Amino acid sequence: MSTTGESQDIEQATSAVTDAPDNKTRRYDRQLRLWAASGQSALESSRILVLSSSATATAILKNLVLPGIGHFTLLDSAIATAADAGNNFFLNAQESIGKPRAKEALPLLRELNDSVDGEAVLTDVKELLKTEEGRETIRSFSLVIAHNLDKDVLDELAGLLWADLTNPPLIAVRSAGFLAEFYTQFHEHCVSQPHTDGTPSLRITRPFPELLQWARELDFDNVDPTTHAHIPFVVILVRAVDEWRAKHDDRLPITPAEKNDFKAQVRAMKRKLDEENFDEAEAQAWRVWFEPAVPSEIAALFTLPPLEAPASSTKTGADLPPSPNPAFHALLRTLNTFVGSPGGPGCLPLSAALPDMRTDTESYVKLQNLYRDRARKEKEHFTELLTDIFPNVAQEINEEELDTFLKNSHQLRVLRGRKWGEWDKDKAAVVESLQISPRETGTHLALTALSTLLSQTPDGSSVTVDALRAEVHALVGKDVELPEEAELAIGELARSPTAELPNTAAFLGGMVAQEAIKMITRQYVPVNGYCVVDLIDSTTGVVGTP
Amino acid sequence: MAAAAVMNGNAPSADWPGRYYHVDQILEKPGPRTDPSFLAGSGVKEFLRDKCKILVIGAGGLGCEILANLALSGFKDIHVIDMDTIDISNLNRQFLFRPKDVGKPKAIVAAEFIMNRVPGVTVTPYYGKIQDKDDDYYMQFNLVICGLDSVEARRWINATLVNLVDPEKPESLKPLIDGGTEGFKGQARVILPTMTSCYECSLDMLNKPTAFPICTIANTPRLPEHCIEWASVLEWPRVRGEQKLDTDNPEHIQWLYQIASARAKEFKIEGVTWSLTQGVVKNIIPAIASTNAIIAASCCNEAFKIATSSAAYLNNYFMLIGTDGVYSYTFEHQQREDCPVCGGESLDISISREWTVDRLIEILIERQDIQVKKPSLSSGGKQIYFQAPPQLEEATRPNLEKKVSELIEDGGEITVTATTLPFNLSLRVKYT
Repeated sequence: MSTTGESQDIEQATSAVTDAPDNKTRRYDRQLRLWAASGQSALESSRILVLSSSATATAILKNLVLPGIGHFTLLDSAIATAADAGNNFFLNAQESIGKPRAKEALPLLRELNDSVDGEAVLTDVKELLKTEEGRETIRSFSLVIAHNLDKDVLDELAGLLWADLTNPPLIAVRSAGFLAEFYTQFHEHCVSQPHTDGTPSLRITRPFPELLQWARELDFDNVDPTTHAHIPFVVILVRAVDEWRAKHDDRLPITPAEKNDFKAQVRAMKRKLDEENFDEAEAQAWRVWFEPAVPSEIAALFTLPPLEAPASSTKTGADLPPSPNPAFHALLRTLNTFVGSPGGPGCLPLSAALPDMRTDTESYVKLQNLYRDRARKEKEHFTELLTDIFPNVAQEINEEELDTFLKNSHQLRVLRGRKWGEWDKDKAAVVESLQISPRETGTHLALTALSTLLSQTPDGSSVTVDALRAEVHALVGKDVELPEEAELAIGELARSPTAELPNTAAFLGGMVAQEAIKMITRQYVPVNGYCVVDLIDSTTGVVGTP
Repeated sequence: MAAAAVMNGNAPSADWPGRYYHVDQILEKPGPRTDPSFLAGSGVKEFLRDKCKILVIGAGGLGCEILANLALSGFKDIHVIDMDTIDISNLNRQFLFRPKDVGKPKAIVAAEFIMNRVPGVTVTPYYGKIQDKDDDYYMQFNLVICGLDSVEARRWINATLVNLVDPEKPESLKPLIDGGTEGFKGQARVILPTMTSCYECSLDMLNKPTAFPICTIANTPRLPEHCIEWASVLEWPRVRGEQKLDTDNPEHIQWLYQIASARAKEFKIEGVTWSLTQGVVKNIIPAIASTNAIIAASCCNEAFKIATSSAAYLNNYFMLIGTDGVYSYTFEHQQREDCPVCGGESLDISISREWTVDRLIEILIERQDIQVKKPSLSSGGKQIYFQAPPQLEEATRPNLEKKVSELIEDGGEITVTATTLPFNLSLRVKYT
């Protein structure tokens, strides 16, 4: 701490080699701060198939090429029209008219990022769907995105991708004028890094021995005033809980009165009014009555029914039911075993992450080291169990994945999806949704009706308010009275049945790319259901969540 | 490049048949939510494509997207202001820029790109600050869209457009559309100066920036961020003296990183990295192409609807959170009657008779709905405390220790000015 020591440190430090990031890290800096190297590497290994090179399709791709996916294929047999040249930023205006649309778009997308590989395939997806080789090509991608694909073709594509658990997810996008929706079809999506705000347990009511020892042995009454004013709130609460339990048959405070008494007990530990660490302990007292061994959302994951696998699905081995995410399920099952294991803490593993608190450097570092050591020990125990139950997974999993899983074990997410179009078959559910979310459901139904009409007359000539309304009634039943919101959506689609507005395309480009990134990186939580967009009211909403 | 720009600027013939097939479906007939005043057909097309003049503030993450969307939507007279040059870290989202453009002015490169890609559109760039321009300049536009990352610049343009409004001249009311993003989150809003909630009205919605107490930084560091703050706030001025810290200079970041690392090592704190150092000192906000695309599209969609009356526009705030599914919230933010910019009334402030001027200044700096850094105070013609120039500061400094109640009577007004404050704030003092 002496001045000489300090300047020596500075001298040593400044002579060190530079740790400045390389060009790639600098280029991706603003996104690496969100999904880190692991997310980036997932993006870079992804291969994305995009059906159509419409304004919306290229807008989506732009937002995936920029952050650096590995490869994309534009599959489109269309010839660029005068209209395409007017609404698609990734065409060379008039010069592109009459030329293959995908081929024209390709160089303009590729120039966004040299490290992304892309190709244009001038084939109709219908042709690919006809042969096994073509179907295998479709299945070989990590994600398939389709915009305004013909209804029947989309149904066939969705069926193909749904047929096996290991097939890629499909994002189906539909839009006309100011209205749009997108839907991600997947069997199951597991997220070990959801970036939600869950607070991991600090083990205040289940202190591990070293923490309890600190709280018990610290002589609160006789330490010097400076130390007293810097006791970390965690230690204060562990001590307070310990004393409370001694006086209350080993119980925690439950009733509002008891909670108030507990807070009063913490206040009474103060020596001086301005000891902010004790104020902090009181403010954090909720941790004492809200510290489940396993949060209910996580407990629910332990009892998830097995996936209803399509008949053709490949088995994943071990004694796990079929799943596209066998390793995640192996970890999940091990987590359940860990919680019940006599050698474990009786709750989820400790996260080494400690929030900042009012204390001095020494106490904070000491506390942090205690948490780190304990987390390490629990990780060892977890690894032993994993090796025991799933030796193959234990061998294959990398350290970082395991750490991420354990660190986030209090906020893991498993989403179960549904086949594209499946919800619409459940008329009762759709009619109910029409009452609860009339705008979103009405818009979804109107878009479905539109796609039916367009599959008959692609130029939109048969699209009228009456024709759309009749189709919607065919979907929900003739006797169902349509809410005003559904009529507004029908009216708007009749106005602009084949309009792909630049702003709607750009909006969807962002929304769908966000979802694609979430699916690929397995970070953040994708939307599950039909995400419906209304750019007149400027709203979004989700319906048809399984 | 220049030749292309000239050709573009004078080429209404660039409109090939069918060019606006998509947009025209909207412009040729009304929908169920279209205002009756909508003039479907050639009138609205002519206004949008030949008459409407729109200003885009910022040619960065949002700005690039906004320019492309406006051009494709049919706006043909677009102006753009940006004072920045292109950095390599912009390339993950600012899609009009390439590695060869690093170091060049954003506004100029973006304008050229748009004019080359979208024929018939004129984009007039200005490489400089919005504050360089006067009222006459802003008066020429029909609409203003902001894609900025600075609160200060937004407050300035907001106050400028509110002050521009002359009730006798309806055309002096310039709709202001403002967008902002952070990671997977963002917001877009429509401000009709003096008629709806303005940027200043919602200042308290901003997250309070994380500020670490100086005693933590100096005495009890716990986090790597504390060590970095120590290096930048305390060590830089101590060791480097008068030299100004330039957070864009890698040598400066490197120096801070090494100082912070040494401090962290001394205190056994882990986690100081180059990237974290840069993030803390530059206050870097994560940014991705997709979120910018959503928010820019929303802003341009509102601009299109307002310019054409083809559909109802946003009233007045759209907020999106894409981290956990897709959550958005569209609501009407209420105008604040005591808004210092658009409310027209003074802000009431209740203080104790015992408070000193110094204490009052501290409170003003703290307040989230005021957000001022170095306020100067006066009342009537009387100076209370001035931050600058030095002579005036020295002359008024003794007042800092005086009680406010000795200088101002109950119900009296104090005028607050500051360089970061684009208007004079009136406070009405009430003693408790």
